[in-house]
Amino acid sequence: MVVNLTVNGDRRSSAADPITPLVDILREEFHLTGAKPVCREGFCGACMVLVDGAPTLSCLMPAALAEDCEIRTVEGLAVGGTLTPIQAALEDCDAVQCGMCFPGMVVTLTHLLTVEPGATRDDIRAALTGNICRCTGYERIVEAALLAVAVK
Amino acid sequence: MSEVFTATDFRRRDARDKLRGRTRYTIDRYLPGMLHAAVLRASVPSGRIIRLDVSRAARMPGVRAVVTAADAPGKIGIGIADHPLFARDLIRYDGEPLAAIAADTLVEANAALTAIDVEIEPLPAVLTMAEALAPTAPLVHPDWREHEILLAGEAREGNVAWEATVVRGDVDSAFARSDAVIVDSTFRVGRQNHVAFEARAVVASYEDGRFHIETSTQAPWTVRNATARLLGVPASQVRVTVPPVGGGFGLKFDIAIEPFAALLARASGRPVRLVNSREEEMLTCLFRENAEIRIRSAVTQEGEIVGREAVVLMDCGAYGGEQVFLTTMTAHTLGGNYRLGSVRLVSRAIYTNTAPNGAFRCCNGVYNTFALERHTDEIAAKIGMDPLLFRRRNVLGNGDLGATGQVFEGDVLGPMLDRMDTMREAAAKPPARTDGRLYGRATTVGTWFVFVGPSAATVNMNADGTATLVTSGVEIGSGSMMQALPQIVSATLGIAPGDVVVRAADTDAAGYDVGVGGGRTTVSLGAASLAAAQEVRKKLLNFASETIEASPDDLVMRNGRIEIAGAPGSGRSITEVATLAQAQIGPVSGTGAFTGSGVPAMPGCVAGHFIDAIDIPVFAVHDCEVAVDPETGHVEVLSYKVVQDVGRALNPRAVRNQIQGGVAQGLGYALHEEVTIGTNGRVCQNSFETYRVPLALDVVPVETSLYEGAPSVGPFGTKGAGEVPILNVGATVACAVANATGKRVQELPLTPPRVLELLLDLKSDLSFPHIAEAWAENLVRPHNTTG
Repeated sequence: MVVNLTVNGDRRSSAADPITPLVDILREEFHLTGAKPVCREGFCGACMVLVDGAPTLSCLMPAALAEDCEIRTVEGLAVGGTLTPIQAALEDCDAVQCGMCFPGMVVTLTHLLTVEPGATRDDIRAALTGNICRCTGYERIVEAALLAVAVK
Repeated sequence: MSEVFTATDFRRRDARDKLRGRTRYTIDRYLPGMLHAAVLRASVPSGRIIRLDVSRAARMPGVRAVVTAADAPGKIGIGIADHPLFARDLIRYDGEPLAAIAADTLVEANAALTAIDVEIEPLPAVLTMAEALAPTAPLVHPDWREHEILLAGEAREGNVAWEATVVRGDVDSAFARSDAVIVDSTFRVGRQNHVAFEARAVVASYEDGRFHIETSTQAPWTVRNATARLLGVPASQVRVTVPPVGGGFGLKFDIAIEPFAALLARASGRPVRLVNSREEEMLTCLFRENAEIRIRSAVTQEGEIVGREAVVLMDCGAYGGEQVFLTTMTAHTLGGNYRLGSVRLVSRAIYTNTAPNGAFRCCNGVYNTFALERHTDEIAAKIGMDPLLFRRRNVLGNGDLGATGQVFEGDVLGPMLDRMDTMREAAAKPPARTDGRLYGRATTVGTWFVFVGPSAATVNMNADGTATLVTSGVEIGSGSMMQALPQIVSATLGIAPGDVVVRAADTDAAGYDVGVGGGRTTVSLGAASLAAAQEVRKKLLNFASETIEASPDDLVMRNGRIEIAGAPGSGRSITEVATLAQAQIGPVSGTGAFTGSGVPAMPGCVAGHFIDAIDIPVFAVHDCEVAVDPETGHVEVLSYKVVQDVGRALNPRAVRNQIQGGVAQGLGYALHEEVTIGTNGRVCQNSFETYRVPLALDVVPVETSLYEGAPSVGPFGTKGAGEVPILNVGATVACAVANATGKRVQELPLTPPRVLELLLDLKSDLSFPHIAEAWAENLVRPHNTTG
């Protein structure tokens, strides 16, 4: 059985077992290693991707469930060399440290700023509770999100 | 040279790729023809291997290589070589490796593990330090006398892996003084898991008769040397390179899974990828160790500490590892912060049949600071003195003696306490509190240090006016390699920091380095980089002096030009000079080396120590305010303030980031992070579901003041800034909770059940029967009490 996926606008197919977690297909077959399999049980958010626009934990989603959906990974957010507003704000605020959680953080914040363009500090902190960061203590990430809200 | 640090908010070069998911960490490396490896681990805490037969596994589908203890003859360790790669004969902890397999796919490798025929006879285990120190306890290392000694001056016996002592002055007389009161305190803390987001990961190859190891490590030279020792090959046969590292915090300061992949690569002739599963990572973490502490002080009514003694038991798990080295730290953590008339301390690393512990940000310091600061509050209460006044009266200042007889330079902690007063007074008054919660606050002090050690650097001047910095440093996230080091080189050469390329670590290309950790990167690698850049500068100025027709002493390098001092726009661009120099005298490069000369201890004062005194002290003052819910025991941190001694902040924003992150990690340690061992000897927290780290809603913004100007031998007066922010978080929260509740806080973390027990007086005072009442009876090696 072949699973057909649309990833960052490209049609792709995989012959892997359809219950293979989406994150493994993305990383090992398509070499899109942005999504990180850190906890593999849906707690850390580092493997977050957008599936039909909704933030989704790709470690928990069987690939078959993403059939015919629009999947957007962190690699597919910036067009050309231009960072998205939230990526640019995270860079401007020097928010990045080891960076392993940031692909998931960027996906979560991209979605938040889409559905809540005027998100407040409390909204941002609440939205980030599904994305664990061990390095930063979160504050600079929240500041960056507020900056992205302000410049929009 | 101060004007050159205009780019103090220099942004990291690696952020853009990290934000776009393009950075290739070790876990993202997939080489053509690569095999996948898995490790068979023991599932008993103590046992004898009766049979281990891999022949059936070797015939399983896809299997390309199987390795066992017979392939790795050596043993490693710090101080003592007690640790083999695979269990041989005896199993000493649940999770200990027995064999490793490489196969075409990870599924096949895991399937083959189940085909290994293994028979194990369970043996009695010691799971706690109390059990390990019992007179009839089974020995974790029955052969402890046969371990090779790597550092002279050892004191050890049975389940005591290592012992370090400090004796300065006459403590017995101090405790016998009629004008002194005795304060006796006991404390215990659990284990903490680093939870580095990138699991330990390696891709190894065997190329041209040498091993090439790509790994997620903080210490490439340690991996090189320890792998060679375990495999029984010359160290020069191992090359280690390091991609960007997805978090370290000390976890990756020691060797981990690299030798398994190396052995399998040699056996199979193919590249081998080995990545710990999250469960393996949780079970075999090299945790921050659990510890038990007894501390007593003799103090006058005026608040003078005339005598102090302590016994610290550090659980090293089944192998000595870094705990042996860390026994040294107690002298500078429990013996730090305050002037002491006399002092005697013993720190003992204890073997248990549990997963080995290791280094973790401010290793040994966080719990000893917790103990010391809680003890300090208990002293202040006993003599009826305001705890802040007591601290102000006693903190180390210029010319004061540390525990080991080291003379401290400069008044640092006192002015930092003053600055914290100012910050507190400037803060907005809290709103009226009528929610029934209990409120408290506390201010604590902390003394830490920069772990100096040797570093090397080379700077190559490129003909396009850029410079390439080659070191064995690793970017683990702190930004030292991406921000501080380029800033130092660029400042010296008068070029933009973005024009300094930092080469990723490669032990074939760069000189020896102890590793990125211990707050040493900006100091040691920074000093080596500065020296290398200065050599380049000197060569370029000498060369330029002929074409510019001015003495080298009259030339400066700034803003991309070599020009006559005081005559902006004169001279030539650095690019022109570098291009000409390359053509006429050859490529210009410089090398630099650095190490600390070491501060001696008072003669006869210390025994079993790896460092006699601290080369670069670093101080911190923390303040926090908490609210405790009396119904649930939940502790909420309401505000957090830090004054940190940074020497000089090359990049204040990056330093503040480190402080925010370190405090967040400390809040986890203070309030909910604890790894426990079940009665079966297995770590109970095997996933993110059972081990909770701070989330965005748990953390408050940390108000930070950077204290600059304290003495330091670091380049431009810098000190390490990333290690120390976690040092006194546990202490500060514990003191604040004690103040809020009026209860005696003796344990961390302060989970809701533990706080409720305190509030309901269900918790009896901690006692440690395995710590002898008389200090000297706790020693393997008697220490002359007169020094």
